[in-house]
Amino acid sequence: MNEKEKKAYLEQYKKDKEKGVPFFPDILFKDAIVSLIIFLGLIAVAYFIGAPLEERANPSDTTYTPKPEWYFLFIFQLLKYFPGELEVVAVVVIPTLAIILLFLLPFLDLSAKRHFWNRPWITVLVVSSVAGVLFLTVQSIRETPPPVEIAQGDPIATLYVENCASCHGGTINVPEGTNLHDVIAQGNHEGMPAWSADITSDDIDALAGFILSPGGNALFNELCRTCHEPSELVASDPIELKAALDEGRAYAPHAEVTIPDWNEVITPQKRTALLNFLIAPDGQRLFATNCAQCHGRSISFAGNRDELRDLISQGGLHLEMPPWRETLDNNQISTLAEYVTNPTATGNGSELFAQYCASCHGERIPTMDDYAAALEIIATGGAHQTMPVWGEVLTSEQLDALVNFTMDAARGAPLELGQGLFAENCAICHGDFGEGGPNPTRPDDVIAPISTSEYLKTRDDHTLFQIIAQGQPNFGMSPFGSAFGGPLDDDQVNTLVVFIRSWEANPPVELPPEVDARSVKLSADEVYTQLCAQCHGTDGLGLIGPSLRDPDFRAANTPQDIFETISRGHEATPMIRWGDLLGEDTIQDLTDFILGLEISDAGVQPQATPGFSSFAEDVMPIFEAKCAPCHGSMGGWDSESYEAVMTTGRNAPTVIPSDIENSILAQKITGTQTAGKIMPPGGKMTNNEIQIVLDWIVAGAPDN
Amino acid sequence: MIAKIANWFDERVGWKVIWEAIFLRKIPKVNWFYTLGSATLFTAVNQAVTGILLTIYYVPTPDHAYDSVQYITTQIPMGWLIRGLHHWGASAMVVLTVLHMLRVILLGAYKYPREVTWFTGVFLLLVVIGFGFTGYLLPWDQKAYWGSTVGTQIAGAAPVIGDWILRVMRGGPDLSAVTLARFFGVHIWVLPASLILLVAIHMYLIIKIGISAVPKKEELA
Amino acid sequence: MNDGKQLDRRSFLGLITWFIGGSIGAGYSIPAIAYIVGPAARKEEDQAWLRLGAASKVELGTPTLFKIKVERQTGWITNEKELSVYVLTENGRDFVAMSNICTHLGCRVRWIASQDQFFCPCHNAAFSKNGEVIDGPPPRPLNQYQVKEEDGQLFVLGG
Ligand code: HEM
Ligand code: HEM
Ligand code: FES
Repeated sequence: MNEKEKKAYLEQYKKDKEKGVPFFPDILFKDAIVSLIIFLGLIAVAYFIGAPLEERANPSDTTYTPKPEWYFLFIFQLLKYFPGELEVVAVVVIPTLAIILLFLLPFLDLSAKRHFWNRPWITVLVVSSVAGVLFLTVQSIRETPPPVEIAQGDPIATLYVENCASCHGGTINVPEGTNLHDVIAQGNHEGMPAWSADITSDDIDALAGFILSPGGNALFNELCRTCHEPSELVASDPIELKAALDEGRAYAPHAEVTIPDWNEVITPQKRTALLNFLIAPDGQRLFATNCAQCHGRSISFAGNRDELRDLISQGGLHLEMPPWRETLDNNQISTLAEYVTNPTATGNGSELFAQYCASCHGERIPTMDDYAAALEIIATGGAHQTMPVWGEVLTSEQLDALVNFTMDAARGAPLELGQGLFAENCAICHGDFGEGGPNPTRPDDVIAPISTSEYLKTRDDHTLFQIIAQGQPNFGMSPFGSAFGGPLDDDQVNTLVVFIRSWEANPPVELPPEVDARSVKLSADEVYTQLCAQCHGTDGLGLIGPSLRDPDFRAANTPQDIFETISRGHEATPMIRWGDLLGEDTIQDLTDFILGLEISDAGVQPQATPGFSSFAEDVMPIFEAKCAPCHGSMGGWDSESYEAVMTTGRNAPTVIPSDIENSILAQKITGTQTAGKIMPPGGKMTNNEIQIVLDWIVAGAPDN
Repeated sequence: MIAKIANWFDERVGWKVIWEAIFLRKIPKVNWFYTLGSATLFTAVNQAVTGILLTIYYVPTPDHAYDSVQYITTQIPMGWLIRGLHHWGASAMVVLTVLHMLRVILLGAYKYPREVTWFTGVFLLLVVIGFGFTGYLLPWDQKAYWGSTVGTQIAGAAPVIGDWILRVMRGGPDLSAVTLARFFGVHIWVLPASLILLVAIHMYLIIKIGISAVPKKEELA
Repeated sequence: MNDGKQLDRRSFLGLITWFIGGSIGAGYSIPAIAYIVGPAARKEEDQAWLRLGAASKVELGTPTLFKIKVERQTGWITNEKELSVYVLTENGRDFVAMSNICTHLGCRVRWIASQDQFFCPCHNAAFSKNGEVIDGPPPRPLNQYQVKEEDGQLFVLGG
């Protein structure tokens, strides 16, 4: 622009100004309108969209896909076209050039022309830059992947993304043998919440399946999703699922629909993935769906992991059911058949079931659809139901998980949680073994034992739950359920109930019901016979506990030691803190009483008083009630006649007349055997019963 | 009455002269595109007002930033509005600034005698970008943290001094409490101060020189 | 005429401009005030019955000190504060719960059993066992909490 042009411009501008309008209000009015529109627009987005806030910054999360604010996206996108060494061009050269260009613009464009049509170069440059930036921005938005892939419309993936991905990223490495369902439901690791409150159990299973088998999830969406919801299939029987996949079009429920032959369209690996997705390799659930029906809550299994794996995968093993028509009349059989086809129908079906079937079938009723078939099976008995060959049905991951769970369950692992809760919340008043003790909230009151089978038999789970949740304010027990202001949620209370219930079968200590404050006034030998004799024997020569007359025992323990052991108990044994129950005087008396017992190395043998037990009148009824349900015609030791008792069994003879120590039968019922479990498996017989059997053996096991 | 008070003040303050100079000055007839500058100014004021309100509760440390922002959004009455206005106002301001600049370019308004206005404008553009960049980190959520990590990384790609720039921006090798504190300091002190200074010059020049007339297609040579 | 019309239009535009400006101004100030006074306007709703401990711990006729931890939500931070309460009962049924904060300048008073009075070490104030001022600068008796007994447990209303 030369001087002449400048002058010309200023003159022209002066004229324009004179023809113009005052800034206020003409111009400012427009400005005000525009500002108002912007203001209202901003309020609207603030209200309808709001300022987003994502999860708290997590520097250790490496799966987050960073994205800059949208107006920087074009630079971000530019980087993609200048890889490696050339990056500098996108990052430094282009922006710097752009800024310099902007600054220099008035010097680069020196013409006097102002209208854009008259400055084509500048106009083209500007329009193309704007178009370029817009293009890059749109491109970048299109190419940025969504944070963690949400396979669209997949409810389980959505669950995962919404609940898990923020901490776990796209995938989780689950150590082998983890019970994922538990982990998710209870959140038992650092900082992870218990999801059971927010997610249904079926969804947790599906989630576990998804985590363990993301591939299966994709397959499910591709193949099954049109007709099935994940939570529906996840809850179904693995044998059916397997059949549906294997039989393809031949699978009956699929007969009506047009579907491909799965066998052909998907490889065996993919079938495994799909099965793992639907039946997550999650031992507890596998057990619940596949085994619990026959085996109840857990199976006691003494072998090792490999044996168990073989056993499960080979299946087939099963005891034979006796032909019930030999024992029951037709009426009873048909009642039973009716009962198993419709468990809610008749009244005395359940009694019959409890009497004859429950010892093997447990609480689970083997339901059947067909009354005639049920009738037939019950009447004829036999190997009516063999264990499926699980190896053919379950995937190897599922088998591993199942084996792990079964082993743990056999060792009582699921009870550990309950035990922990009990120790934390209840043991202060009820004692570690539920044996009770003085009531800390009410002086001169004693809390009765809650771990005896007598006590537990008379309270069902619901009652126990209520007591724990609501407390017993009259007795000084505060409510523990969170609904009543206590610290435990429903799941925890249930866990406690399960734990306490487990005492019914295996009471930690059998206290005579009449033990209460009054027994404190008993003399030392009375206390001894009532309490200590259970474990240490009536004569102090030991039973479950050590002999108190053993010379080594006496040498190792000062009177003070004995006093303290009684009052403090031994952790992890049924020897409880008697100090909580008995006064110091009584314990001192007991100590004196024990020291007064004559030293003898007669051994850890309960010596039978040669009272007389008649086999037919005393022993046989016990066998009939306690052993015969299993030890009959089913093989193994047979308890049904004197002959059988003396001669049958894998390790026959099980009874060696006059020799308690070596009679397997005696070992089994007192719990001193070296291998296997105490018999009966439901819990020790009463002392009286044991004594009768032992007496009979001592007396030479006569057939009288 | 009002006129009396106004006069009383005018005798001492002389506001009428200023009022006439700024508001009653004559201006060539212009079209709606000329409102873009004031619109930008409006968003700038919006950012300043809401930004100042945000600092009342916002705490720029990694332990508290996120919680305080969440507190503002969910607990404080109208907090959602203040933060929403600031959040969306930032985007609006960027857009409007650029549109305003495009208007200035296409209508040749950067030419004699308005070159200095243009220079202050370019600086203003840089300041606005600076606001957007530093503000993005402040909520300390995932997008803030990772977006700024990448953003500073990009700046660090410059040859030779890149690494040094990166360290200066982050206040160390990593994005940390130091980064948050300095982004905050820049966002609420350095940049607003520059913004006010530049806008003041920008406005002074616009009033002094007068706004350009809409150019006609048939221009004198 | 023409001019008058112009002027009319102008003053009308001017009015509207002022009005818009005023509305935007109000649109900011009203939420801004709510925003600023918000936390202050919040009621002390945290008042709750706090469990002190067993009523049986209180000795007849002697103020007994209970210390409990109270969780407090201040802004976005939860902190724990300790609440110290002296509980006095003459008959085991009616309880008086007193704050241990001196009503003078907020030091902590303590029970001096041998003198049968509370003592504040800061400016040597003394309070009777009911909390009445015996000596020193405090303007009023020790603050009291509402107290109740339920199932052998003492509760005070506080936060
Ligand atoms: C925060 C940012 C900015 C604010 C608040 C602002 C404000 C304004 C205002 C109110 C005007 C009056 C004319 C109109 O409204 O169009 C104006 C004019 C102008 N602005 Fe800006 N502006 C900003 C950024 C920029 C930028 C980024 C540039 C250029 C790179 C720029 C260059 C100019 C020029 C050259 C004029 C004179 C135009 C004329 O007289 O026709 N401004 N600015
Ligand atoms: C004087 C002025 C300003 C002050 C005192 C201020 C203050 C703040 C504060 C305290 C925050 C953190 C609160 C939050 O993240 O929600 C923030 C965030 C932010 N500021 Fe500003 N600011 C000002 C101006 C600006 C301007 C002019 C811009 C933009 C161009 C801007 C853009 C942002 C952005 C993008 C955020 C992040 C908002 C979000 O995503 O929540 N600020 N500002
Ligand atoms: S603070 Fe207690 S006497 Fe001053």
